[in-house]
Amino acid sequence: MQGIDTLSAAGPVQHYFSPYTFNGGTILAIAGEDFSVIATDTRLSQGFSIHTRYSPKSYQLTNSTVLGCAGFHGDCLTLTKVIKARLQMYEHEHGSEMSCPAIAQMLSTELYYRRFFPYYTYNILAGLDSEGKGCVYSFDPVGSYERETYRACGSASSLLQPLLDNQIGFKNQQGVTEVPLRKNKAPFLVEDMFNAAAERDIYTGDKVFFSLITIDGISEQVFPIRKD
Amino acid sequence: MAAVGGTLAQEHCGGFSFENCKRNAILEKMGAKLPTARKTGTTICGVVFKDGVILGADTRATEDTIVADKNCSKIHYIAPNIYCCGAGTAADTEYVTQLISSNIGLHSLSTGRQARIVTALRMLKQLLFRYQGYISAALVLGGVDLNGPTLHTVYPHGSTDKLPYVTMGSGSLAAMSLEEAKKLVRDAIAAGIFNDLGSGSNIDLCVITKEGTEYLRPYDVANEKGVRRGRYSYKRGTTG
Amino acid sequence: MAAVHGLLSHPQQNKMMASSDYPDWMTAEHKTGTTIMAVEFNGGVVIGADSRTTTGAYIANRVTDKLTPVTEKVFCCRSGSAAATQAIADVAKYQLNFLSIEMGEQPLVKTVANVFSIPLGGMCVRQPFAIGGSGSTYIYGHCDATFKGNMTKEECFSFVSNAVALAMARDGSSGGIIRLAAIDETGIERRVILGNELPTFYEG
Repeated sequence: MQGIDTLSAAGPVQHYFSPYTFNGGTILAIAGEDFSVIATDTRLSQGFSIHTRYSPKSYQLTNSTVLGCAGFHGDCLTLTKVIKARLQMYEHEHGSEMSCPAIAQMLSTELYYRRFFPYYTYNILAGLDSEGKGCVYSFDPVGSYERETYRACGSASSLLQPLLDNQIGFKNQQGVTEVPLRKNKAPFLVEDMFNAAAERDIYTGDKVFFSLITIDGISEQVFPIRKD
Repeated sequence: MAAVGGTLAQEHCGGFSFENCKRNAILEKMGAKLPTARKTGTTICGVVFKDGVILGADTRATEDTIVADKNCSKIHYIAPNIYCCGAGTAADTEYVTQLISSNIGLHSLSTGRQARIVTALRMLKQLLFRYQGYISAALVLGGVDLNGPTLHTVYPHGSTDKLPYVTMGSGSLAAMSLEEAKKLVRDAIAAGIFNDLGSGSNIDLCVITKEGTEYLRPYDVANEKGVRRGRYSYKRGTTG
Repeated sequence: MAAVHGLLSHPQQNKMMASSDYPDWMTAEHKTGTTIMAVEFNGGVVIGADSRTTTGAYIANRVTDKLTPVTEKVFCCRSGSAAATQAIADVAKYQLNFLSIEMGEQPLVKTVANVFSIPLGGMCVRQPFAIGGSGSTYIYGHCDATFKGNMTKEECFSFVSNAVALAMARDGSSGGIIRLAAIDETGIERRVILGNELPTFYEG
């Protein structure tokens, strides 16, 4: 992307080049007792225009792991390509799929490898751990990561994270019994979350790509949200 | 009092106050981040039809990338027979149209005649030219007066255009029925709402004919709001 | 002619997003792009202009009328910032109108009509023909080669329309249709040459 800084017609003109662009997108993931869900919106935009209304930011890595990847779309494509290549190499070497916690560690290494020219990507990994429990890992662009029960990231993260804190973490509530999220309630909650995000964030909209990960496999679902 | 150098609260005496410019420049140099003005990344348009003018606008106001107001009104009142769509800095469009509306009101009281669109146009362009583009108001001015239905665009630097279909006096548009014209404006605004991230929410229309004005707010809801699936009401005492 | 859409010209607002997040026509600075010209004939003048108004690369108005009357029989052709030239023309029109009321007659129209060239600084030169605006640089040679003294009104019309069409073909910021006007003692005769009726030349 190129920018031109013109202060006056007569004065000096500075040209600069930025290798990064922000293409928007929001990711939301929740880990349950024996399942995890991950959802991304499908709008790909730049500045004040939309490139496409259907470009899901979810990438299925194995039969029990899905990666959500938003930020600079070019880096998302490269990063997922690298990850998928390394997963294939692992499978050839070990004769089995990589586990979700192992993929998380590998992703972190891959991100930190580019510490001084980072991938401009926000990542959330959702899947099942070796005991079959739901797990969610969130990352920063240079590889710091943490296992969590719920996380929102991308353009509407600041809008959704407090909502998740309240609804799943039961933060700022008194006298309530903290019940774990049920599998059949998760899709509704996610849908409401994305509807709320699309109301206020201009980079979130069009459709939501939703994945439910259980021991039986991954079931996918697409539902529409605001298009303006 | 948030004033520097012992300036006390003074009554406003017209015009802008520049007393904080120097202070703000110093603060900025020290690294303070100045607040940004609310901008209406906007879709506005207008059409002349057989008996009058239709103005259209979306209803989204943004602050950076956040939607600040989901249903704001961008078609401003100037006179009973003149309205004005505004794009640019929300405060600028609001105040410029209010000022011109007030002056037009006084003018038509003193002349005892209905306000003319060209009068509002001249006032607007002279005001905007005086401020050399620093008042960021891009306007579509429309109305019906003794010269019939008329439409103009006004740019922040003070240049104006009489819109093409008016200058060309195109027969096809003049023969357009009210419903056709409304549909045309609706479709134009809807295109802006769906394809420009700075525009969104509902479509407002304003139909001005010599019989009177009809302000349709909203004329159409371009996007249906998603239906809430869960229940989010708290039991009494939950939030302290 | 440039209509400047200064939505983001305010330095404070530029910080809200990187300038490259907006299309160039939203942030564009003043740019002049026009072809205008005028030529004398025996007893009058013919004036002509293209019809393009631009905001950066966006054509804000494709049928602009740049031939602006300042009195009944005196016209000016505008080129440069749309806002500034409109403001100047309005002021001139007001002053001349005021003068004509004071004198009780129209400002003098001499028997031989005049063409003046008035650049930015305010210099004023009388010329048998004058061209201006960014497009004019492309047609100096053509005008010098094809201008003849004592042309008829019709000859002047074709001289002007050919020259403006040539300039519009070469200058990106001139275009649209050609607007022409002949001014003589009897009054104003206006003509329009639409985009599909423009004189054509070598288009390589």
